[in-house]
Amino acid sequence: MASVVEIREVTVAFGGLRALRGVDLDIAQGERLAVIGPNGAGKTTLFNVIAGDIAPTTGTVVIRGQDCTRRPSRHRPRLGLARTYQKARAFAGLTVRENIYLALAGHRGRHRALWRTPADRAMGDEAADVADRVWLSGQLDELAGELAHGQRRQLELAMAIATRPDVMLLDEPASGLSRGERERLVELLESFDDRLTLLLIEHDMDVAFRIAQRVVVMADGEQVMAGTPDEVRADPHVHRIYLGTEAA
Amino acid sequence: MNLRARLTGEPLALAGLVLFLILLPSLATAFFVNFVMTQTLILGLAAATIVFLSRYGGMTSLAQLLMFGIAGFMFGNAALDGGARGLNLGWHPWAAVGFAIVVTTLAAVVLGAIASRTTGIYFLMLTLVYGVIGYFVFAQIVEISGPGGITSIQRPDLLGPPVRLYYAGLLLSVLAYVGFRALRRTAFGLALQGVRDDPVRMASLGFNVPLHRTLAFVLAGFVAGLAGLLNVWWNGQIDPASISIGPTLILLIIAVIGGISSLEGAWLGAFVYVLVFTYLRDLPLVDRIGITEARFNTVIGVIVLAIMVLSPEGLTGIARRLPVRTIRKELGGTRA
Ligand SMILES: Nc1ncnc2c1ncn2[C@@H]1O[C@H](COP(=O)(O)OP(=O)(O)OP(=O)(O)O)[C@@H](O)[C@H]1O
Ligand SMILES: [Mg+2]
Repeated sequence: MASVVEIREVTVAFGGLRALRGVDLDIAQGERLAVIGPNGAGKTTLFNVIAGDIAPTTGTVVIRGQDCTRRPSRHRPRLGLARTYQKARAFAGLTVRENIYLALAGHRGRHRALWRTPADRAMGDEAADVADRVWLSGQLDELAGELAHGQRRQLELAMAIATRPDVMLLDEPASGLSRGERERLVELLESFDDRLTLLLIEHDMDVAFRIAQRVVVMADGEQVMAGTPDEVRADPHVHRIYLGTEAA
Repeated sequence: MNLRARLTGEPLALAGLVLFLILLPSLATAFFVNFVMTQTLILGLAAATIVFLSRYGGMTSLAQLLMFGIAGFMFGNAALDGGARGLNLGWHPWAAVGFAIVVTTLAAVVLGAIASRTTGIYFLMLTLVYGVIGYFVFAQIVEISGPGGITSIQRPDLLGPPVRLYYAGLLLSVLAYVGFRALRRTAFGLALQGVRDDPVRMASLGFNVPLHRTLAFVLAGFVAGLAGLLNVWWNGQIDPASISIGPTLILLIIAVIGGISSLEGAWLGAFVYVLVFTYLRDLPLVDRIGITEARFNTVIGVIVLAIMVLSPEGLTGIARRLPVRTIRKELGGTRA
Protein backbone atom coordinates (compact mmCIF):
# COMPACT_ATOMS: atom_id res chain seq x y z
CA MET A 1 0.00 0.00 0.00
CA ALA A 2 1.31 3.40 -0.98
CA SER A 3 2.25 5.73 1.81
CA VAL A 4 0.49 9.02 2.30
CA VAL A 5 3.69 10.71 3.36
CA GLU A 6 7.18 9.53 2.34
CA ILE A 7 10.24 11.16 3.81
CA ARG A 8 13.55 10.12 2.23
CA GLU A 9 16.97 10.92 3.60
CA VAL A 10 15.87 14.31 4.84
CA THR A 11 18.46 16.57 6.39
CA VAL A 12 17.95 20.11 7.60
CA ALA A 13 20.86 22.34 8.50
CA PHE A 14 20.48 25.68 10.25
CA GLY A 15 23.91 27.09 9.59
CA GLY A 16 26.22 24.65 11.35
CA LEU A 17 23.45 23.02 13.35
CA ARG A 18 22.00 19.88 11.83
CA ALA A 19 18.47 19.64 13.11
CA LEU A 20 17.68 16.55 11.01
CA ARG A 21 20.29 14.05 9.84
CA GLY A 22 18.94 11.71 7.23
CA VAL A 23 15.45 10.88 8.41
CA ASP A 24 13.39 8.26 6.56
CA LEU A 25 9.73 7.85 7.35
CA ASP A 26 6.75 6.26 5.65
CA ILE A 27 3.29 6.96 6.93
CA ALA A 28 0.38 4.84 5.78
CA GLN A 29 -3.11 6.12 5.31
CA GLY A 30 -5.11 6.07 8.52
CA GLU A 31 -2.03 5.55 10.63
CA ARG A 32 -1.73 7.10 14.08
CA LEU A 33 1.88 7.96 14.61
CA ALA A 34 3.44 9.62 17.62
CA VAL A 35 6.86 11.26 17.39
CA ILE A 36 8.60 11.58 20.73
CA GLY A 37 12.05 12.61 21.82
CA PRO A 38 13.88 15.08 24.04
CA ASN A 39 13.92 18.84 23.48
CA GLY A 40 15.82 19.82 20.38
CA ALA A 41 15.53 16.34 18.88
CA GLY A 42 14.20 17.78 15.62
CA LYS A 43 10.55 16.77 15.96
CA THR A 44 9.13 20.16 15.10
CA THR A 45 11.64 20.55 12.31
CA LEU A 46 10.40 17.27 10.84
CA PHE A 47 6.84 18.65 10.93
CA ASN A 48 7.99 21.88 9.33
CA VAL A 49 9.52 19.91 6.48
CA ILE A 50 6.39 17.82 5.94
CA ALA A 51 4.16 20.91 6.13
CA GLY A 52 6.37 22.89 3.76
CA ASP A 53 7.30 25.64 6.22
CA ILE A 54 10.94 24.65 5.77
CA ALA A 55 12.49 23.17 2.64
CA PRO A 56 14.88 20.36 3.54
CA THR A 57 18.56 20.91 2.87
CA THR A 58 18.73 17.50 1.19
CA GLY A 59 16.31 14.63 0.73
CA THR A 60 12.75 14.45 -0.58
CA VAL A 61 9.22 14.78 0.71
CA VAL A 62 6.44 13.03 -1.18
CA ILE A 63 2.83 13.55 -0.16
CA ARG A 64 0.15 11.42 -1.80
CA GLY A 65 2.49 10.57 -4.64
CA GLN A 66 3.43 14.18 -5.36
CA ASP A 67 6.93 15.46 -4.84
CA CYS A 68 6.51 18.36 -2.43
CA THR A 69 10.14 18.84 -1.48
CA ARG A 70 10.36 22.41 -2.78
CA ARG A 71 6.68 23.24 -2.87
CA PRO A 72 5.78 26.02 -0.45
CA SER A 73 3.39 25.39 2.40
CA ARG A 74 0.44 27.07 0.77
CA HIS A 75 -0.09 24.12 -1.55
CA ARG A 76 -0.44 21.66 1.34
CA PRO A 77 -4.11 22.26 2.23
CA ARG A 78 -5.11 21.24 -1.28
CA LEU A 79 -3.32 17.95 -0.70
CA GLY A 80 -5.48 17.46 2.36
CA LEU A 81 -2.83 18.30 4.91
CA ALA A 82 -3.31 20.48 7.98
CA ARG A 83 -1.11 21.22 10.95
CA THR A 84 -1.00 22.90 14.32
CA TYR A 85 1.95 24.74 15.78
CA GLN A 86 3.72 23.96 19.01
CA LYS A 87 3.43 27.56 20.11
CA ALA A 88 -0.18 28.44 19.37
CA ARG A 89 -0.17 31.08 16.69
CA ALA A 90 -3.74 31.98 15.96
CA PHE A 91 -4.36 35.45 14.56
CA ALA A 92 -4.39 37.58 17.66
CA GLY A 93 -6.38 40.47 16.22
CA LEU A 94 -9.23 38.30 14.95
CA THR A 95 -11.99 36.49 16.78
CA VAL A 96 -12.19 32.74 17.28
CA ARG A 97 -14.84 32.52 14.58
CA GLU A 98 -12.75 34.56 12.16
CA ASN A 99 -9.69 32.41 12.81
CA ILE A 100 -11.56 29.24 11.99
CA TYR A 101 -13.21 30.96 9.05
CA LEU A 102 -9.76 31.71 7.64
CA ALA A 103 -8.78 28.06 7.91
CA LEU A 104 -11.87 27.18 5.86
CA ALA A 105 -11.41 30.00 3.37
CA GLY A 106 -7.74 29.16 2.81
CA HIS A 107 -8.58 25.56 2.11
CA ARG A 108 -11.33 26.44 -0.36
CA GLY A 109 -9.30 29.11 -2.08
CA ARG A 110 -12.01 31.71 -1.82
CA HIS A 111 -10.66 34.70 -0.09
CA ARG A 112 -10.45 37.60 -2.45
CA ALA A 113 -14.05 38.80 -2.41
CA LEU A 114 -14.37 42.44 -1.44
CA TRP A 115 -17.85 41.94 -0.05
CA ARG A 116 -19.49 39.32 2.12
CA THR A 117 -21.02 36.48 0.14
CA PRO A 118 -23.50 33.77 1.19
CA ALA A 119 -20.56 31.36 1.09
CA ASP A 120 -18.82 33.52 3.71
CA ARG A 121 -21.84 33.36 5.97
CA ALA A 122 -21.99 29.60 5.51
CA MET A 123 -18.32 29.32 6.45
CA GLY A 124 -18.98 31.50 9.48
CA ASP A 125 -21.67 29.07 10.61
CA GLU A 126 -19.42 26.14 9.89
CA ALA A 127 -16.73 27.80 12.01
CA ALA A 128 -19.19 27.93 14.89
CA ASP A 129 -19.79 24.18 14.55
CA VAL A 130 -16.08 23.49 14.58
CA ALA A 131 -15.61 25.69 17.64
CA ASP A 132 -18.27 23.65 19.33
CA ARG A 133 -16.26 20.47 18.72
CA VAL A 134 -13.29 21.90 20.63
CA TRP A 135 -15.44 23.40 23.37
CA LEU A 136 -14.96 26.98 22.24
CA SER A 137 -18.54 27.91 21.40
CA GLY A 138 -18.62 30.27 24.35
CA GLN A 139 -15.65 32.20 22.97
CA LEU A 140 -16.74 32.56 19.34
CA ASP A 141 -16.57 36.34 19.29
CA GLU A 142 -13.58 36.76 21.56
CA LEU A 143 -10.27 37.88 20.13
CA ALA A 144 -7.80 35.03 19.83
CA GLY A 145 -5.17 37.22 21.49
CA GLU A 146 -7.31 37.43 24.61
CA LEU A 147 -7.90 33.69 25.07
CA ALA A 148 -6.48 31.71 27.96
CA HIS A 149 -3.60 29.39 27.13
CA GLY A 150 -5.66 26.21 27.02
CA GLN A 151 -8.28 27.86 24.84
CA ARG A 152 -5.61 29.02 22.45
CA ARG A 153 -4.49 25.43 22.02
CA GLN A 154 -8.07 24.41 21.41
CA LEU A 155 -8.37 27.08 18.73
CA GLU A 156 -5.15 25.82 17.18
CA LEU A 157 -6.73 22.40 16.98
CA ALA A 158 -9.99 23.80 15.62
CA MET A 159 -8.14 25.45 12.75
CA ALA A 160 -6.59 22.10 11.85
CA ILE A 161 -9.73 20.00 12.03
CA ALA A 162 -11.95 22.62 10.37
CA THR A 163 -11.11 21.57 6.83
CA ARG A 164 -11.48 17.83 7.55
CA PRO A 165 -7.95 17.10 6.41
CA ASP A 166 -6.77 13.65 5.38
CA VAL A 167 -3.42 14.15 7.07
CA MET A 168 -3.13 16.04 10.31
CA LEU A 169 0.04 17.07 12.09
CA LEU A 170 -0.38 18.06 15.73
CA ASP A 171 2.62 19.55 17.49
CA GLU A 172 2.26 18.97 21.24
CA PRO A 173 -1.50 19.50 21.42
CA ALA A 174 -1.58 18.58 25.11
CA SER A 175 1.14 20.92 26.32
CA GLY A 176 -0.01 23.31 28.98
CA LEU A 177 -3.43 21.70 29.29
CA SER A 178 -4.99 20.76 32.60
CA ARG A 179 -5.69 17.12 33.39
CA GLY A 180 -9.35 17.51 32.48
CA GLU A 181 -8.50 19.28 29.24
CA ARG A 182 -6.09 16.48 28.32
CA GLU A 183 -8.78 13.93 28.87
CA ARG A 184 -11.11 15.82 26.54
CA LEU A 185 -8.32 16.12 23.99
CA VAL A 186 -7.72 12.38 23.97
CA GLU A 187 -11.43 11.80 23.55
CA LEU A 188 -11.48 14.18 20.61
CA LEU A 189 -8.46 12.53 18.97
CA GLU A 190 -10.02 9.11 19.44
CA SER A 191 -13.21 10.30 17.80
CA PHE A 192 -11.51 11.02 14.49
CA ASP A 193 -12.44 9.06 11.38
CA ASP A 194 -10.34 5.92 10.81
CA ARG A 195 -9.17 7.16 7.44
CA LEU A 196 -7.53 10.22 8.95
CA THR A 197 -3.77 9.99 9.09
CA LEU A 198 -2.56 11.50 12.33
CA LEU A 199 0.96 12.55 13.26
CA LEU A 200 1.40 13.63 16.79
CA ILE A 201 4.35 15.15 18.60
CA GLU A 202 3.75 14.76 22.29
CA HIS A 203 5.74 15.02 25.46
CA ASP A 204 2.88 13.63 27.49
CA MET A 205 3.54 9.89 27.18
CA ASP A 206 0.13 9.06 28.46
CA VAL A 207 -1.56 10.96 25.62
CA ALA A 208 0.95 9.79 23.01
CA PHE A 209 0.74 6.11 23.90
CA ARG A 210 -3.02 6.07 24.10
CA ILE A 211 -3.47 7.56 20.66
CA ALA A 212 -0.60 6.07 18.70
CA GLN A 213 -0.37 2.75 16.89
CA ARG A 214 3.27 3.38 16.16
CA VAL A 215 5.79 5.52 18.00
CA VAL A 216 8.93 7.01 16.49
CA VAL A 217 11.62 8.08 18.91
CA MET A 218 13.94 10.85 17.80
CA ALA A 219 17.13 12.22 19.31
CA ASP A 220 19.72 14.57 17.86
CA GLY A 221 18.01 14.79 14.48
CA GLU A 222 17.83 11.06 13.98
CA GLN A 223 15.27 8.33 14.40
CA VAL A 224 16.47 6.23 17.30
CA MET A 225 13.82 3.57 17.22
CA ALA A 226 10.26 2.90 16.15
CA GLY A 227 7.67 0.43 17.30
CA THR A 228 4.36 -0.06 18.98
CA PRO A 229 3.72 1.87 22.19
CA ASP A 230 4.41 -1.28 24.19
CA GLU A 231 7.71 -1.95 22.46
CA VAL A 232 8.83 1.63 22.96
CA ARG A 233 7.77 1.69 26.57
CA ALA A 234 9.76 -1.47 27.22
CA ASP A 235 12.92 -0.33 25.45
CA PRO A 236 15.72 0.49 27.93
CA HIS A 237 17.47 2.64 25.35
CA VAL A 238 14.45 4.91 25.12
CA HIS A 239 14.30 5.16 28.84
CA ARG A 240 17.84 6.38 28.96
CA ILE A 241 17.72 8.99 26.21
CA TYR A 242 14.21 10.18 26.58
CA LEU A 243 12.47 9.36 29.77
CA GLY A 244 15.77 9.95 31.53
CA THR A 245 16.00 13.42 30.05
CA GLU A 246 12.47 14.11 31.12
CA ALA A 247 13.24 13.22 34.67
CA ALA A 248 16.39 15.32 34.72
CA MET B 1 -20.11 43.76 20.26
CA ASN B 2 -23.82 43.76 20.81
CA LEU B 3 -26.24 44.89 18.18
CA ARG B 4 -27.48 47.87 20.09
CA ALA B 5 -24.06 49.43 20.30
CA ARG B 6 -23.61 48.92 16.60
CA LEU B 7 -26.87 50.58 15.70
CA THR B 8 -26.70 53.49 18.07
CA GLY B 9 -23.04 54.32 18.65
CA GLU B 10 -20.63 54.80 15.82
CA PRO B 11 -22.87 54.84 12.74
CA LEU B 12 -25.02 57.50 14.34
CA ALA B 13 -22.02 59.65 15.21
CA LEU B 14 -20.71 59.21 11.69
CA ALA B 15 -24.06 60.11 10.15
CA GLY B 16 -24.23 63.22 12.34
CA LEU B 17 -20.74 64.27 11.34
CA VAL B 18 -21.43 63.73 7.66
CA LEU B 19 -24.65 65.74 7.90
CA PHE B 20 -22.75 68.53 9.59
CA LEU B 21 -20.11 68.48 6.87
CA ILE B 22 -22.81 68.53 4.19
CA LEU B 23 -24.29 71.65 5.76
CA LEU B 24 -20.92 73.23 6.45
CA PRO B 25 -20.76 75.39 3.30
CA SER B 26 -23.82 77.31 4.51
CA LEU B 27 -22.37 77.70 8.01
CA ALA B 28 -18.71 78.53 7.50
CA THR B 29 -16.75 80.97 5.41
CA ALA B 30 -15.85 80.09 1.86
CA PHE B 31 -12.18 80.16 2.85
CA PHE B 32 -12.69 77.64 5.62
CA VAL B 33 -14.68 75.31 3.41
CA ASN B 34 -12.76 75.58 0.18
CA PHE B 35 -9.32 75.92 1.60
CA VAL B 36 -9.14 74.30 5.01
CA MET B 37 -11.77 71.62 4.69
CA THR B 38 -11.23 70.61 1.09
CA GLN B 39 -7.54 70.22 1.76
CA THR B 40 -8.30 68.26 4.92
CA LEU B 41 -10.48 65.84 3.00
CA ILE B 42 -7.90 65.37 0.25
CA LEU B 43 -4.97 64.80 2.60
CA GLY B 44 -7.15 62.70 4.90
CA LEU B 45 -8.15 60.47 2.01
CA ALA B 46 -4.52 59.97 1.03
CA ALA B 47 -3.42 59.39 4.63
CA ALA B 48 -6.26 56.90 5.09
CA THR B 49 -4.55 54.64 2.56
CA ILE B 50 -1.48 54.59 4.81
CA VAL B 51 -3.67 53.72 7.79
CA PHE B 52 -5.49 51.04 5.79
CA LEU B 53 -2.26 49.32 4.77
CA SER B 54 -0.79 49.63 8.23
CA ARG B 55 -3.80 48.65 10.28
CA TYR B 56 -5.14 45.82 8.14
CA GLY B 57 -2.03 44.67 6.37
CA GLY B 58 0.77 45.51 8.79
CA MET B 59 2.54 47.46 6.04
CA THR B 60 3.72 51.01 6.64
CA SER B 61 3.92 52.53 3.20
CA LEU B 62 5.83 55.63 2.23
CA ALA B 63 4.75 55.27 -1.39
CA GLN B 64 1.23 56.62 -1.04
CA LEU B 65 2.15 60.18 -1.91
CA LEU B 66 3.84 58.87 -5.04
CA MET B 67 0.55 57.24 -6.10
CA PHE B 68 -1.13 60.54 -5.35
CA GLY B 69 1.42 62.33 -7.50
CA ILE B 70 1.32 59.88 -10.39
CA ALA B 71 -2.44 60.38 -10.70
CA GLY B 72 -2.01 64.15 -10.67
CA PHE B 73 0.76 64.18 -13.25
CA MET B 74 -1.07 61.77 -15.52
CA PHE B 75 -4.21 63.86 -15.43
CA GLY B 76 -2.20 66.99 -16.21
CA ASN B 77 -0.45 65.33 -19.14
CA ALA B 78 -3.62 63.92 -20.60
CA ALA B 79 -6.07 66.77 -20.09
CA LEU B 80 -4.09 69.80 -21.20
CA ASP B 81 -3.50 70.70 -24.80
CA GLY B 82 -1.40 72.95 -26.95
CA GLY B 83 1.17 75.21 -25.37
CA ALA B 84 0.87 73.89 -21.87
CA ARG B 85 3.66 71.96 -20.19
CA GLY B 86 3.78 68.17 -20.22
CA LEU B 87 2.65 65.82 -22.95
CA ASN B 88 -0.34 67.97 -23.98
CA LEU B 89 -2.49 65.05 -25.03
CA GLY B 90 -5.57 67.24 -24.99
CA TRP B 91 -8.01 64.55 -24.03
CA HIS B 92 -11.49 64.97 -22.66
CA PRO B 93 -11.17 65.54 -18.87
CA TRP B 94 -12.97 62.33 -17.97
CA ALA B 95 -10.82 60.32 -20.36
CA ALA B 96 -7.86 61.91 -18.61
CA VAL B 97 -9.33 60.83 -15.27
CA GLY B 98 -9.62 57.26 -16.53
CA PHE B 99 -6.06 57.39 -17.86
CA ALA B 100 -4.72 58.72 -14.56
CA ILE B 101 -6.50 56.02 -12.57
CA VAL B 102 -5.35 53.24 -14.87
CA VAL B 103 -1.71 54.34 -14.84
CA THR B 104 -1.71 54.80 -11.07
CA THR B 105 -3.27 51.40 -10.51
CA LEU B 106 -0.83 49.70 -12.87
CA ALA B 107 2.07 51.36 -11.09
CA ALA B 108 0.64 50.08 -7.82
CA VAL B 109 0.44 46.55 -9.24
CA VAL B 110 4.11 46.56 -10.21
CA LEU B 111 5.41 48.29 -7.08
CA GLY B 112 3.12 46.26 -4.82
CA ALA B 113 4.21 42.97 -6.35
CA ILE B 114 7.86 43.82 -5.79
CA ALA B 115 7.28 44.98 -2.22
CA SER B 116 4.97 42.10 -1.32
CA ARG B 117 7.74 39.81 -0.20
CA THR B 118 9.02 42.23 2.41
CA THR B 119 7.60 43.25 5.76
CA GLY B 120 8.29 45.66 8.58
CA ILE B 121 11.24 47.96 8.24
CA TYR B 122 12.16 46.46 4.86
CA PHE B 123 8.76 47.28 3.45
CA LEU B 124 9.06 50.81 4.82
CA MET B 125 12.50 51.25 3.29
CA LEU B 126 11.45 49.81 -0.05
CA THR B 127 8.47 52.12 -0.32
CA LEU B 128 10.69 55.03 0.68
CA VAL B 129 12.93 54.08 -2.22
CA TYR B 130 9.85 54.05 -4.47
CA GLY B 131 9.08 57.56 -3.32
CA VAL B 132 12.60 58.79 -3.96
CA ILE B 133 12.84 57.11 -7.37
CA GLY B 134 9.40 58.42 -8.30
CA TYR B 135 10.45 61.92 -7.39
CA PHE B 136 13.58 61.71 -9.54
CA VAL B 137 11.67 60.23 -12.46
CA PHE B 138 9.29 63.17 -12.48
CA ALA B 139 11.98 65.71 -11.69
CA GLN B 140 14.25 64.56 -14.49
CA ILE B 141 11.88 63.57 -17.27
CA VAL B 142 10.52 67.05 -17.91
CA GLU B 143 8.45 65.76 -20.84
CA ILE B 144 5.99 64.30 -18.33
CA SER B 145 6.34 66.82 -15.54
CA GLY B 146 6.91 70.03 -17.47
CA PRO B 147 9.88 72.15 -16.53
CA GLY B 148 8.90 73.31 -13.07
CA GLY B 149 5.65 71.41 -13.04
CA ILE B 150 2.42 71.27 -15.01
CA THR B 151 0.34 74.38 -14.46
CA SER B 152 -3.10 75.76 -15.36
CA ILE B 153 -4.80 72.44 -14.85
CA GLN B 154 -8.58 72.79 -15.13
CA ARG B 155 -10.98 70.51 -13.38
CA PRO B 156 -13.86 68.84 -15.20
CA ASP B 157 -16.88 71.16 -15.61
CA LEU B 158 -18.91 69.06 -13.22
CA LEU B 159 -16.57 70.13 -10.42
CA GLY B 160 -16.27 73.73 -11.57
CA PRO B 161 -17.35 75.70 -8.48
CA PRO B 162 -14.93 75.21 -5.57
CA VAL B 163 -17.68 74.00 -3.26
CA ARG B 164 -18.33 71.08 -5.61
CA LEU B 165 -14.76 70.00 -5.16
CA TYR B 166 -15.37 70.09 -1.41
CA TYR B 167 -18.37 67.83 -1.88
CA ALA B 168 -16.38 65.51 -4.12
CA GLY B 169 -13.76 65.26 -1.39
CA LEU B 170 -16.45 64.59 1.17
CA LEU B 171 -18.11 61.94 -0.96
CA LEU B 172 -14.88 60.09 -1.69
CA SER B 173 -13.79 60.35 1.93
CA VAL B 174 -17.05 58.89 3.19
CA LEU B 175 -16.94 56.14 0.59
CA ALA B 176 -13.35 55.29 1.43
CA TYR B 177 -14.00 55.33 5.16
CA VAL B 178 -17.11 53.20 4.98
CA GLY B 179 -15.54 50.96 2.36
CA PHE B 180 -12.34 50.34 4.30
CA ARG B 181 -14.34 49.70 7.45
CA ALA B 182 -16.66 47.27 5.69
CA LEU B 183 -13.68 45.49 4.18
CA ARG B 184 -12.62 44.41 7.65
CA ARG B 185 -15.33 41.76 7.71
CA THR B 186 -14.99 40.50 4.15
CA ALA B 187 -13.03 37.50 3.02
CA PHE B 188 -10.33 39.75 1.61
CA GLY B 189 -10.16 41.93 4.71
CA LEU B 190 -9.97 39.01 7.10
CA ALA B 191 -7.28 37.36 5.01
CA LEU B 192 -5.33 40.63 5.00
CA GLN B 193 -5.50 40.86 8.78
CA GLY B 194 -4.36 37.26 8.98
CA VAL B 195 -1.39 38.20 6.81
CA ARG B 196 -0.66 41.05 9.20
CA ASP B 197 -0.81 38.83 12.29
CA ASP B 198 1.09 35.81 11.01
CA PRO B 199 2.06 35.44 7.35
CA VAL B 200 3.69 32.03 7.86
CA ARG B 201 0.54 30.64 9.37
CA MET B 202 -1.54 32.16 6.56
CA ALA B 203 0.61 30.40 3.98
CA SER B 204 0.15 27.06 5.71
CA LEU B 205 -3.61 27.61 5.64
CA GLY B 206 -3.36 27.85 1.87
CA PHE B 207 -3.23 31.61 1.31
CA ASN B 208 -1.06 33.33 -1.23
CA VAL B 209 0.47 35.92 1.07
CA PRO B 210 2.36 38.04 -1.48
CA LEU B 211 -0.74 38.19 -3.68
CA HIS B 212 -2.81 39.47 -0.78
CA ARG B 213 -0.27 42.12 0.07
CA THR B 214 -0.13 43.16 -3.58
CA LEU B 215 -3.90 43.44 -3.86
CA ALA B 216 -4.05 45.56 -0.73
CA PHE B 217 -1.33 47.81 -2.09
CA VAL B 218 -3.21 48.17 -5.37
CA LEU B 219 -6.42 49.08 -3.60
CA ALA B 220 -4.59 51.65 -1.48
CA GLY B 221 -2.83 52.98 -4.57
CA PHE B 222 -6.13 53.36 -6.37
CA VAL B 223 -7.65 55.36 -3.52
CA ALA B 224 -4.50 57.47 -3.13
CA GLY B 225 -4.78 58.13 -6.88
CA LEU B 226 -8.31 59.46 -6.41
CA ALA B 227 -7.01 61.78 -3.71
CA GLY B 228 -4.25 62.83 -6.09
CA LEU B 229 -6.82 63.80 -8.71
CA LEU B 230 -8.74 65.91 -6.23
CA ASN B 231 -5.47 67.50 -5.21
CA VAL B 232 -4.45 68.45 -8.70
CA TRP B 233 -7.87 69.95 -9.31
CA TRP B 234 -7.72 71.84 -6.07
CA ASN B 235 -4.21 73.13 -6.71
CA GLY B 236 -4.55 73.67 -10.44
CA GLN B 237 -0.97 72.54 -10.82
CA ILE B 238 1.53 69.92 -9.78
CA ASP B 239 5.31 69.89 -9.68
CA PRO B 240 7.88 67.26 -8.73
CA ALA B 241 8.73 69.02 -5.46
CA SER B 242 5.22 68.24 -4.23
CA ILE B 243 6.06 64.52 -4.16
CA SER B 244 9.60 64.83 -2.82
CA ILE B 245 10.72 63.32 0.43
CA GLY B 246 9.48 66.18 2.62
CA PRO B 247 5.81 65.95 1.60
CA THR B 248 6.11 62.14 1.63
CA LEU B 249 7.02 62.29 5.29
CA ILE B 250 4.32 64.84 6.00
CA LEU B 251 1.68 62.43 4.76
CA LEU B 252 3.05 59.78 7.09
CA ILE B 253 3.11 62.32 9.92
CA ILE B 254 -0.55 63.14 9.26
CA ALA B 255 -1.41 59.46 9.61
CA VAL B 256 0.67 59.22 12.79
CA ILE B 257 -0.75 62.37 14.40
CA GLY B 258 -4.25 61.06 13.88
CA GLY B 259 -3.32 57.59 15.05
CA ILE B 260 -1.87 55.11 12.59
CA SER B 261 -4.22 52.40 13.77
CA SER B 262 -7.49 54.21 13.26
CA LEU B 263 -9.02 55.19 9.96
CA GLU B 264 -10.83 58.27 11.27
CA GLY B 265 -7.47 59.43 12.58
CA ALA B 266 -6.30 60.04 9.02
CA TRP B 267 -8.79 62.86 8.54
CA LEU B 268 -8.33 64.11 12.08
CA GLY B 269 -4.59 64.27 11.53
CA ALA B 270 -5.08 66.05 8.22
CA PHE B 271 -7.41 68.57 9.86
CA VAL B 272 -4.91 69.37 12.60
CA TYR B 273 -2.10 69.63 10.10
CA VAL B 274 -4.04 71.97 7.81
CA LEU B 275 -5.20 74.08 10.76
CA VAL B 276 -1.68 74.47 12.07
CA PHE B 277 -0.31 75.09 8.62
CA THR B 278 -2.99 77.66 7.81
CA TYR B 279 -3.50 79.56 11.00
CA LEU B 280 -0.41 79.21 13.13
CA ARG B 281 1.58 81.63 11.04
CA ASP B 282 -1.19 84.19 11.33
CA LEU B 283 -1.36 84.14 15.10
CA PRO B 284 -0.24 87.42 16.62
CA LEU B 285 3.25 87.48 18.04
CA VAL B 286 4.34 84.08 16.69
CA ASP B 287 7.32 85.62 14.96
CA ARG B 288 8.25 87.37 18.20
CA ILE B 289 8.71 83.99 19.87
CA GLY B 290 10.90 82.94 17.03
CA ILE B 291 8.46 80.97 14.86
CA THR B 292 9.29 82.25 11.45
CA GLU B 293 8.42 80.71 8.13
CA ALA B 294 11.68 78.82 8.07
CA ARG B 295 11.12 77.30 11.49
CA PHE B 296 7.63 76.20 10.71
CA ASN B 297 8.56 72.56 10.25
CA THR B 298 10.16 72.58 13.67
CA VAL B 299 6.82 73.59 15.13
CA ILE B 300 5.10 70.76 13.33
CA GLY B 301 7.82 68.45 14.61
CA VAL B 302 7.29 69.58 18.19
CA ILE B 303 3.54 69.13 17.88
CA VAL B 304 4.01 65.61 16.53
CA LEU B 305 6.42 64.86 19.33
CA ALA B 306 4.00 66.13 21.95
CA ILE B 307 1.16 64.04 20.55
CA MET B 308 3.34 60.95 20.35
CA VAL B 309 4.48 61.34 23.93
CA LEU B 310 0.93 61.92 25.15
CA SER B 311 -0.47 59.05 23.14
CA PRO B 312 1.32 56.62 20.85
CA GLU B 313 -2.04 56.07 19.22
CA GLY B 314 -2.24 59.69 18.13
CA LEU B 315 -5.17 62.02 18.52
CA THR B 316 -7.75 59.26 18.28
CA GLY B 317 -5.89 57.51 21.08
CA ILE B 318 -6.24 60.64 23.20
CA ALA B 319 -9.90 60.94 22.28
CA ARG B 320 -10.51 57.34 23.32
CA ARG B 321 -9.04 57.98 26.73
CA LEU B 322 -11.47 60.76 27.48
CA PRO B 323 -14.24 59.89 29.96
CA VAL B 324 -16.55 59.07 27.07
CA ARG B 325 -14.68 55.81 26.88
CA THR B 326 -16.34 54.35 29.92
CA ILE B 327 -19.74 54.98 28.39
CA ARG B 328 -18.62 53.29 25.21
CA LYS B 329 -17.41 50.32 27.15
CA GLU B 330 -20.75 49.93 28.80
CA LEU B 331 -22.35 49.95 25.42
CA GLY B 332 -20.29 46.98 24.43
CA GLY B 333 -16.89 48.40 23.57
CA THR B 334 -15.48 49.55 20.30
CA ARG B 335 -12.82 47.97 18.21
CA ALA B 336 -12.58 50.57 15.51
N1 LIG C 1 14.46 28.20 12.49
C1 LIG C 1 15.52 27.69 13.17
N2 LIG C 1 16.73 28.30 13.09
C2 LIG C 1 17.77 27.80 13.75
N3 LIG C 1 17.75 26.72 14.51
C3 LIG C 1 16.58 26.07 14.65
C4 LIG C 1 15.41 26.53 13.99
N4 LIG C 1 14.38 25.71 14.31
C5 LIG C 1 14.91 24.78 15.12
N5 LIG C 1 16.22 24.99 15.33
C6 LIG C 1 17.11 24.15 16.12
O1 LIG C 1 17.01 22.84 15.62
C7 LIG C 1 17.01 21.90 16.68
C8 LIG C 1 15.77 21.07 16.62
O2 LIG C 1 14.67 21.90 16.93
P1 LIG C 1 13.18 21.38 16.96
O3 LIG C 1 12.34 22.57 17.22
O4 LIG C 1 12.90 20.60 15.74
O5 LIG C 1 13.20 20.45 18.23
P2 LIG C 1 12.01 19.69 18.93
O6 LIG C 1 12.34 18.25 18.89
O7 LIG C 1 10.72 20.10 18.36
O8 LIG C 1 12.16 20.21 20.42
P3 LIG C 1 11.05 20.62 21.49
O9 LIG C 1 10.63 19.36 22.17
O10 LIG C 1 11.78 21.52 22.43
O11 LIG C 1 9.95 21.28 20.78
C9 LIG C 1 17.13 22.70 17.97
O12 LIG C 1 18.46 22.70 18.36
C10 LIG C 1 16.68 24.07 17.57
O13 LIG C 1 17.34 25.04 18.35
MG1 LIG D 1 9.11 21.11 19.00
